[in-house]
Amino acid sequence: MELNNNNKFNFNLEFALKIFLGFLFLYLFLGFMIAPCLNTLTSIFTTRGPDGNIDPLAVIKFFWAGTMPSFVWNSLKLAVCLVITVNIVGISIVLLTEYFDIKGANILRLGYMTTLIYSGVALVTGYQFLYDSNGMITTWLAQYFPTLNRQWFSGFNAVLFTMTFACTSNHALFLRNAIRGIDYNTVEAARNMGASPFRVLFSVVMPTLLPTLFSLTVMTFITGLCAMSAPTLLGYNSINPEIVRLAGSSIADEAFPQARAALLSVILAMFTIILLSILNYYERKGHYLSVSKTKAKLIKQKIHNKTANIMAHIYAYVLFIIYMTPVVMIILFSFQNYPAIRSKMLNVKDWTLVNYFGSQDYEYMTSRGRLRTRTGSISGVFSNSDAVGGIRLSFIMSAIAAAVACVIVVIAVSYIFKHRNKMRAVVTESCLLFPWLLPTILICYSFRIFFNKEIWYVFGNNLYWRENVRFLIIMAYIVVKLPFALRMIKAAFYAIDDELDDAARNLGASQVYTFLKVKLPIILPSVLAVFALNFNALFTEYDMGATFQSSYGKTYAMIIQNMTMEEGREGYNINASGRRCASTVFIMLVSGLILWLVYGLGARDLGERLEARKKWRRRWGKFKGTARAGAMLVANIFK
Amino acid sequence: MIKLDDIVVKFGEFEALHNISVHVKEGEFFTFLGPSGCGKTTTLRTITGFIDPVGGTVLMRGEDITHRPVEKRNIGIVFQSYALFPTMTVRDNIAFGLKIKKVNKAEIDERVNVIAKKVDLSQEQLEKAVSQLSGGQQQRVAIARALVTNPAIICMDEPLSNLDAKLRVQLRNELKRMQREFGITTIYVTHDQEEALTLSDRIAVFNKGYIEQIGTPNEIYNHSKTEFVANFIGDINRLEPEIVNNLKLDNNKKHFIRLERVRVLREKNNNDLELDGVVESQEYYGLYIKYAIKAGGQVLKVIEKNDGINIYEPGEKVIAGINLNDVMSYDA
Repeated sequence: MELNNNNKFNFNLEFALKIFLGFLFLYLFLGFMIAPCLNTLTSIFTTRGPDGNIDPLAVIKFFWAGTMPSFVWNSLKLAVCLVITVNIVGISIVLLTEYFDIKGANILRLGYMTTLIYSGVALVTGYQFLYDSNGMITTWLAQYFPTLNRQWFSGFNAVLFTMTFACTSNHALFLRNAIRGIDYNTVEAARNMGASPFRVLFSVVMPTLLPTLFSLTVMTFITGLCAMSAPTLLGYNSINPEIVRLAGSSIADEAFPQARAALLSVILAMFTIILLSILNYYERKGHYLSVSKTKAKLIKQKIHNKTANIMAHIYAYVLFIIYMTPVVMIILFSFQNYPAIRSKMLNVKDWTLVNYFGSQDYEYMTSRGRLRTRTGSISGVFSNSDAVGGIRLSFIMSAIAAAVACVIVVIAVSYIFKHRNKMRAVVTESCLLFPWLLPTILICYSFRIFFNKEIWYVFGNNLYWRENVRFLIIMAYIVVKLPFALRMIKAAFYAIDDELDDAARNLGASQVYTFLKVKLPIILPSVLAVFALNFNALFTEYDMGATFQSSYGKTYAMIIQNMTMEEGREGYNINASGRRCASTVFIMLVSGLILWLVYGLGARDLGERLEARKKWRRRWGKFKGTARAGAMLVANIFK
Repeated sequence: MIKLDDIVVKFGEFEALHNISVHVKEGEFFTFLGPSGCGKTTTLRTITGFIDPVGGTVLMRGEDITHRPVEKRNIGIVFQSYALFPTMTVRDNIAFGLKIKKVNKAEIDERVNVIAKKVDLSQEQLEKAVSQLSGGQQQRVAIARALVTNPAIICMDEPLSNLDAKLRVQLRNELKRMQREFGITTIYVTHDQEEALTLSDRIAVFNKGYIEQIGTPNEIYNHSKTEFVANFIGDINRLEPEIVNNLKLDNNKKHFIRLERVRVLREKNNNDLELDGVVESQEYYGLYIKYAIKAGGQVLKVIEKNDGINIYEPGEKVIAGINLNDVMSYDA
């Protein structure tokens, strides 16, 4: 009887929990995905014309009559050029390190992979530091080429140059894996039939890489189309910076700015949807999978033609220098004092930690020739209240968003797997993938506009008002990161053998107990990896912070952007460049640590962990034994 | 011990089991044998409670457990993949069921140690992760986990199918030894006839959701009740009309003879039928030799023990001898 009551209680509790979670999911989906985006869409067709009446086509007419197509054109131009340059650089760095026998490939690989820890706004500002009109490299080049246009690093050229090297991370990860998956026996077979190494490359190797290359091309195109930090900071009129500008504009300044911003973001969404549909279709058509049962490991190919070999080596090392120079320079300059950073000249005798910690006084000469001192004006990144505030805010918001996204997805995927092949599972999954179809800017812009008024279902609050914006940013972060979390965590769930569930049930475990004790520990490394990767991406995230543009939600990336602004002579923004260098190093350390935690430490299974623990205990025992013997020896000596 | 009466299982419109009735006796090693998709695993899952039958009853020691939840049946299971929890040590895997039953820690430790000893797992192995064990050791962990809660019966779903051939034979013998030692009623699912014949006290041969025959290995092999069983268990020759007529067998029936029952001779030797033939091919297996002999208007497959003397080369003229007693006949 007691058992029955208990069962009944558990059943009711479980049922109530399911209903609650179902409603919460629906509330979040409708309230934070559908409603804001729908509002953006409808705002395009509900604009009032000059006569005060609603004219559904007013914005579209304005679009064609004005300069707006130029933004679309600029974005398309950037996307197309980026696809070409990124593929050239991306394919070549992978071939040079994985396929051809190039001396020093391991070091080259490290250099090419620096973009994994050095990207986004940090990378753009780093490149700016080196290449802008008074940048170190531009100044150095101008000494040897006096006719060099010192403004070369601005606008389209600068954006294309920066993004070309910033966007090869995916090639370095995915194309590398694809090339490592090639069965070397196929290469040997082709060589055996008389094909030259280059013939083998183009006829055997490249076709197997095509599916990966196609995916990378589409992703690069979308990245180019939705570029934000590089065009904004380097000055290029593409769609995203224009949307942000229009979002902050008012009807008093120009014709229906909000509706125009909405139209641009919807155009961006349409491009994204079309491209992702093509990608999806292509992926469904299947891949060239290796059919061999005993795959042979790829052996690097020697380039026998001497000239070609020398050229390949030169090309590899030139790329290495391009990748490494900003990283090395930023690290070096982060330990330089203010005058050295200001003049962008390395001072090898004087090193300092002031860009990280502590402060120094700043002395300057007024226009009347008086020497003034501003106490503590030269401050390090961890001593500057703005920088520390930005780091703290980004840290908290990113951690919350990454954690909530993981929790939502783990619960949802558990539900999806339980109801596999049923309509409700498909619907749940589609809801979570929905933000993938929309550019980040559309989501953030929609949030900013829609929630900038009192909304009944968020208890009558204006979420864009003062500190509320932080909640709004967190919600945007969560929404944007859901699809990635879903794809990764769902893949982890596939690794759970159905029989584990049956085994636990057979041994008497309840569903919750099975989930907590059996399934969760299996997927935990993946969940933690998703958390870490999402946190890493959000911690230095620029696009969303820039779209919300609120002084109450100044993220770390926005603080870094402020560090690029001109340093006033009279104490304003002093040592911003120094803090920017130190910030970049800090970001590289955080990213590096996270990648190590995820792909190094986190990739070990229980067996490897136990083995490592055993090793550690053995070493510790040995150390203790040695120490004891040493102590006894010392004691004997002193006796 | 376990009795299935008229069990019917449906997946949507598809009827997977048609009125299955089996009686497994106490302490018996009982095998469900059949090809893929014949219903043997479905029957096992019905017994263990993962599948709810739409008709019939499952009785355990006379008690109806047809709709009893999985965890309340007191049945141990060894899964095909072993289903060992990868994030737990061997000890935690074995202790899992006891922890759920809220057995105190000291007793858990004792029971785990006792069962580990019985299945030949060392104390050192108990502290390892399952991924650090070999396939054979993992199987022992799975058996220990299934047995530690003292189940009434143990069900094994193709537990040897993931292992290589040599280890399979080795573990097969160990499995039999352990079953005898524990004296526990065991239901074993396999599609491997050799495994079924060597391990089982009795076998149920499944086909398309029906049981074709239940019997001891000898009954199943030598006295196959149906054409399917005769064909499924071991290799067999179907006799063509010329031989059927020579043996004066019923033309309205199908007639079969096992490979080892056809004799290959150099001279006639008083068999019921002796046909002149030619060796077409020879496959050398070491312990025995397999021949294809063209005789009586058909090619007969024959197995002869390798005695090192009577070895017939392809093209050699031989005599194929058949005795009426060895012919198995079934309705056409």
